[in-house]
Amino acid sequence: MKRQLNTSNKLVLGLIMILVGGLAENYFAWYSMGIVFGILSYVFALNGKSAFWLGLAAGFILWGASAFWVDLQHPSTLPSRMAQIFPLGGKVWVIMLLTGIFGGLTGGIWSFLGAKLRF
Amino acid sequence: MKLIKVIFPIILAVAWTYVLNSNFGTVPPIGKLFSPFHGFWQNAEGPESSEQSEETLQIPGLHQPVQVFYDEMAIPHVFATDDHDLFLAQGYLTAKDRLWQMEFQTHFAGGRISEIVGEKGLASDQFQRRMGAVYGAEKALAGMMQDPSSNLALDSYTEGVNAYINSLTDRTLPLEYKLLNYQPEPWAPIKSALFLKNMSFVLASGTDELKMTNIVRKYGKEVAENLFPNYPFEESPIIPSGSPIDFKPVPIPAAPKDFIGLGSSMQTPEKDPNIGSNNWAVSGNKTVSGMPILANDPHLTLSLPSIWYQMQLVAPGVNVYGSTMPGAPNVIGGFNKNIAWGVTNVGSDVLDWYQIKFKDASKKEYWHDGQWKKTTMRIEKFQIRGKKEMVDTIFFTHHGPVVYLSHEKPFRSNIPVGHALKWIAHEKSQELSAFYRLNRAKNYNEYKDALTYYAAPAQNFVFASNEGDIALWVNGRFPLKAKLQGKYLMDGTDAAADWQGYIPQAHNPHVLNPTRQFVSSANQFSTDADYPYYLGWQYAPSERGRRINERLEAMTKATVDSLRELQNDVFNIRARRMLPLLLAQVKNPTAKQLKVMQELKKWNFQNAPNLIAPTIFENWISTMHSALWDDEFEQDVTIPMSKPSVDRTLKMIIEEPNAIWWDNVKTKNIHETISDIITSSLQADIDSLEKQHGPMSQESWAWYKHKQTGVRHLIPGMDALSRLNIPIGGGGTIVNATTMKTGPSWRLVVELSKMGTPKGYGVYPGGQSGNPGSNHYDDLIDTWAKGELKPLLYMDSANQRTDRIRKKIILDK
Repeated sequence: MKRQLNTSNKLVLGLIMILVGGLAENYFAWYSMGIVFGILSYVFALNGKSAFWLGLAAGFILWGASAFWVDLQHPSTLPSRMAQIFPLGGKVWVIMLLTGIFGGLTGGIWSFLGAKLRF
Repeated sequence: MKLIKVIFPIILAVAWTYVLNSNFGTVPPIGKLFSPFHGFWQNAEGPESSEQSEETLQIPGLHQPVQVFYDEMAIPHVFATDDHDLFLAQGYLTAKDRLWQMEFQTHFAGGRISEIVGEKGLASDQFQRRMGAVYGAEKALAGMMQDPSSNLALDSYTEGVNAYINSLTDRTLPLEYKLLNYQPEPWAPIKSALFLKNMSFVLASGTDELKMTNIVRKYGKEVAENLFPNYPFEESPIIPSGSPIDFKPVPIPAAPKDFIGLGSSMQTPEKDPNIGSNNWAVSGNKTVSGMPILANDPHLTLSLPSIWYQMQLVAPGVNVYGSTMPGAPNVIGGFNKNIAWGVTNVGSDVLDWYQIKFKDASKKEYWHDGQWKKTTMRIEKFQIRGKKEMVDTIFFTHHGPVVYLSHEKPFRSNIPVGHALKWIAHEKSQELSAFYRLNRAKNYNEYKDALTYYAAPAQNFVFASNEGDIALWVNGRFPLKAKLQGKYLMDGTDAAADWQGYIPQAHNPHVLNPTRQFVSSANQFSTDADYPYYLGWQYAPSERGRRINERLEAMTKATVDSLRELQNDVFNIRARRMLPLLLAQVKNPTAKQLKVMQELKKWNFQNAPNLIAPTIFENWISTMHSALWDDEFEQDVTIPMSKPSVDRTLKMIIEEPNAIWWDNVKTKNIHETISDIITSSLQADIDSLEKQHGPMSQESWAWYKHKQTGVRHLIPGMDALSRLNIPIGGGGTIVNATTMKTGPSWRLVVELSKMGTPKGYGVYPGGQSGNPGSNHYDDLIDTWAKGELKPLLYMDSANQRTDRIRKKIILDK
């Protein structure tokens, strides 16, 4: 049975995703967050659409906020240098946004897969 | 149906992850690289806190704990209880700051760049190996391992580097590994040997034999010898004229039979001629303190991470401070309590080419000394990234490798095909033993003894001691040659053309406490004609050396600061000599030419960063040189030739204004005079500057903007990790020898002290850390560009109180 989540449940599940995903990222490969999201979507039997959007949001927040936090803790010229290599005009906010988008898409795609595996 | 529905998301997730986990050409693995938990974000290091921190790291293999104090420039001061621990710590700490650079440079040296960048690195890799880089390193390693001190140093250093490599995780991997998507491999002593042998590649692989032979074939020997003389028109040799010769020379071998080789090759880019260095020491009689002061600034291709890594290494029997090379144990240039030493390159000819006559296409035998001799074959394997392994066979004669066979296209235009290479860099050697002993030397005799272990690349080792001695040895292993042997390509079948042994080391040019009260070198001729042996016919231009000598000559009451100023001298001695001669030849100048000439006439000959006269002058020398020589010596790209030097050109302006060379042979029925060529080259100067920078203005033609000195990351084109257009004066023939890509890679001034500790000052264009995310990646560049030096912390003991320590690390077993 596919579940329809209400807003507060979605919020709770999103938080769980961020926490468990963050934990996984600390020990395993960069895409471990995606796999965690997939498992969670499977376990909580989300429908494809909510799974994708929830994964996208959680991944975006986890990667974007982490990048922001690292930059705050260890301010250096590196993010700006990276934003020249790519090239994003050396703008740090753009490279943070891009980090969030890559995290979001990774989260969303795997989360979507988890939901679709329950058939 | 449901199965099909699930296949699409599976493919999507797997493909997405795969794509973001892989690199595509130069595009890095985006997912891995952007992950804030694994990628570049993790390489950011904030500024260190102002409070001193302390930390303990577990390093397997240590005998006793090692104390490491990092000062405010992040320079480690290492206190160990024995040599083993000292070198292990040196390896570990160097790798901690510079691992990627160490591995990348030794991959380059060993012809393995294609393992990282794929097929585009293959031609360079093949060239390195064909030149015998790996062969030479293997022989060098065998030599180094024979000396217990080097053996211990190499093994312990290797242990230290590997301890660091083993501590790495995906997260802590240096940034460049993440960008290029590969992993470090274990370090090994052969890598240190590759690194040291690569210095011969950088400093002693210049070769003009092919170009000179092409000239002989076209114009004859007399012209070649006239335009490419064996001693400059103006010179101030390193060993002052009249210095006593304290040895009985051995007989010089007979000259080989006259031989004109086949010559010719293809045109490709070649190496930068601007690599050179300065060093000098002034005796106590010339200094305010009464103690000798030594200065050194080796010029190299400037790069980030920096070429040098500063360290203080302390253990029983040694307390040395100076610059180390990431990849090799010991300090290369620096000082201890009693002595200071520095190095500049010697431009002697230690590389020769022999035209080889193979018996047949199998290349198994070649003709030499009246008989067929067997070649040996060496197989080199290339693990090209993303491609199949390639295997290459190199044929070796007793001379050395046949670098390119007659039908092959050489990597560089000055490399002849069908010739075997004889090169000092292929010999067994013990450079590390020399540095080990220099680090511990207490006086002139111990310095002299240390130098007997050193082979290549030959260096001018400047020396000063707190006993008051100053000295300079032009030192290395020099082949014992007949005069001019190896100026041109040689006959590989003639046994008389072979190297006939070496000049005894004690006969190398040297001087101790000369009457002029100073010693100096700037890559110019080692000696005048009184020296009994032939070392080479071509050295770096004499301008830097002459300028240094004229200033040291005049200097009394020298201090650290006066020598620092001399390191930053930007006076253009060439302009002082040549400009009046050039201006006098300009006939009927146009209004524009007049304007430019006025600018030159009011110039004080300083190559200062914001002046435009140096831009006009330096570019004029280049257009004038081109206008005079290109028509005769750059006619055919398939027959590369050397062009006469600026020094020879100067002689021609002064003494041979009617020489046939002034005529441009490309213009039929017109006979150009010296004045025509110089006037038209001034116009060419203006035209090319306008094309590059727009109409003349103080802003756009400023010297530093034209010169564009930059410190570039080792990965070509990585501008974001480089520092470009640094506002600094100087030039290739200026004491402050900054060019677009080369310059003083380390500046050191040391004043010795009889009782107390030596006072060292130094800087290099970069920083201690190789991590672009660290504050110490390029924090010294501005100080360097301003011409300032940092006081160097020389600690007497681990218990010394100083407020300069920011971090203490204890390396514990």
